[in-house]
Amino acid sequence: MTLSVGPQHPGSGHFRLIITVDGDIIVKAEPDPGYVHRGEEKMAEVRNYIQNIPHIERPSIIDASGILYPYVLAVEDLLGKSAPERAQYIRMIMAELNRITSHLYFLSIFGIFLGHSTMFMWPMGDREVFIDLSQMIGGTRITFSHFVPGGVRSDAPDSFADKAEKTCDYFEGRLKEYERIFVNNPLCHQRTVGVGVLTKEDAIKLGVVGPSLRASGVKSDTRRDEPYDAYDKVDFEVPVYSEGDSYARLRVHFDEMRQSMSIIRQCIKQMPKGPVKQKLPPQLRPPAGEAYARTEAARGAMAYYIVSDGGNYPYRLKMNVASFRNLIAIPYLLKGVHLADMPTVYWGLDYWPVEADK
Amino acid sequence: MSAIIRALNAFASGVQHLFKRRFTFRYPEQKLEFEGEGYLYDPKTQVGISGFKGRHLLHMDKCTGCQLCSLACENIAMAIEMVPIEGQWPRNKKSIFPQIDYGRCVFCGFCVDACPFYALFETNDYELCGYDRRSLVFTPKQLSIPPPKEKGVTVIFDEKKGEAHHG
Repeated sequence: MTLSVGPQHPGSGHFRLIITVDGDIIVKAEPDPGYVHRGEEKMAEVRNYIQNIPHIERPSIIDASGILYPYVLAVEDLLGKSAPERAQYIRMIMAELNRITSHLYFLSIFGIFLGHSTMFMWPMGDREVFIDLSQMIGGTRITFSHFVPGGVRSDAPDSFADKAEKTCDYFEGRLKEYERIFVNNPLCHQRTVGVGVLTKEDAIKLGVVGPSLRASGVKSDTRRDEPYDAYDKVDFEVPVYSEGDSYARLRVHFDEMRQSMSIIRQCIKQMPKGPVKQKLPPQLRPPAGEAYARTEAARGAMAYYIVSDGGNYPYRLKMNVASFRNLIAIPYLLKGVHLADMPTVYWGLDYWPVEADK
Repeated sequence: MSAIIRALNAFASGVQHLFKRRFTFRYPEQKLEFEGEGYLYDPKTQVGISGFKGRHLLHMDKCTGCQLCSLACENIAMAIEMVPIEGQWPRNKKSIFPQIDYGRCVFCGFCVDACPFYALFETNDYELCGYDRRSLVFTPKQLSIPPPKEKGVTVIFDEKKGEAHHG
């Protein structure tokens, strides 16, 4: 029997999965993406380098800094300029805050897919305190448009360091509660351990990125492998699990939030005083050439390739988003899984259709 | 055996919250308070001053009608239209001012960055709903009214109990 899951929002955006089942077991799963394609790459060719910023953030609004970060780095590379040191630290703080809010969103949807409504409510509530923090710097709750080529648009207010410290202390306590009620809960174990196993060899062969790759035992993190901005000056661990099942993917997301908080704390301590933005003309005209920049966003490696012909607009802009790289693993992982386990496997990959369709 | 203990632990963790203060607040009666007066921009240093990016505030005495905000919004949201306003404006010979359609605005604040005359800023006002699309179009006169200052609630962390609430 063939089932059509979606395209009316099966959890995280408009996306359809065509599933063939034999009894309760999935025989074949065919993803059908493209319902939220916006033509971001083509749109970028008729807008100048500043006007591109708001629309580039839109595909992944819960990780707006993460998707914008490589774009800004690539344009800076084209211009041959780099951001002041303080701006680099503020960018890192914003990117890590966004990683936490994105992972909390992941946790809450993961909880509700397992029927655990407490785990839906708690991370959504705690996401607010981090949204408050990023709103202090960025100005809005989710789509900040805060990074620009040459730095950031506004400095962190004086009260930020104190509030961030308090929030991190509070959230560390909350993470222990999450562990007690959900991650160590035998009910969660029964639904996730050994479900949707992605082995190390297959993960490398399929080209999976981000937390899903790290849950399969590959220690790969762009922040550690090719440090950008000031990531080489902060100390952090890359959580790796070798099991490769849904539970390992949940644990990787969980541990990454702890590491992000540690990075935020170090950034606040190391952050020097000074300017946050280089003076650049309002109309950017990078010299003809091409640039490639890669960062680690919440869902994995995010990369941009920009070609400039010396004019106001980019000649070509190519986005390489993490969700699209993980899409290929969905039919592979869903084969032979019980139908009731489909949401765990699907959402465990942290697949975000809007980001994948661009 | 350990599974039973872990299951009981999960229960205990939930039951503890019966005795804790709730995190949510009653929205229309209580409102969130933001730090600062909103997003401001200093054209001399080319750096913004952090604040909430909400409804705009237009200083009609400073606006020169140069249309830079409208140009900045082009290709982003096309929310700003320059409209003529009757009256004598010594700094604004053409008597044209920005009119903002909040059905289109994405609150990126690049219009604020474009203004070189300290005339356009963003405020903490975020309650912009209306009954029809017409009511989302704010005329220059409406934009020049500063939002009312109300005392709101912020997040308070209780370090001893490890809980947070609004107050």
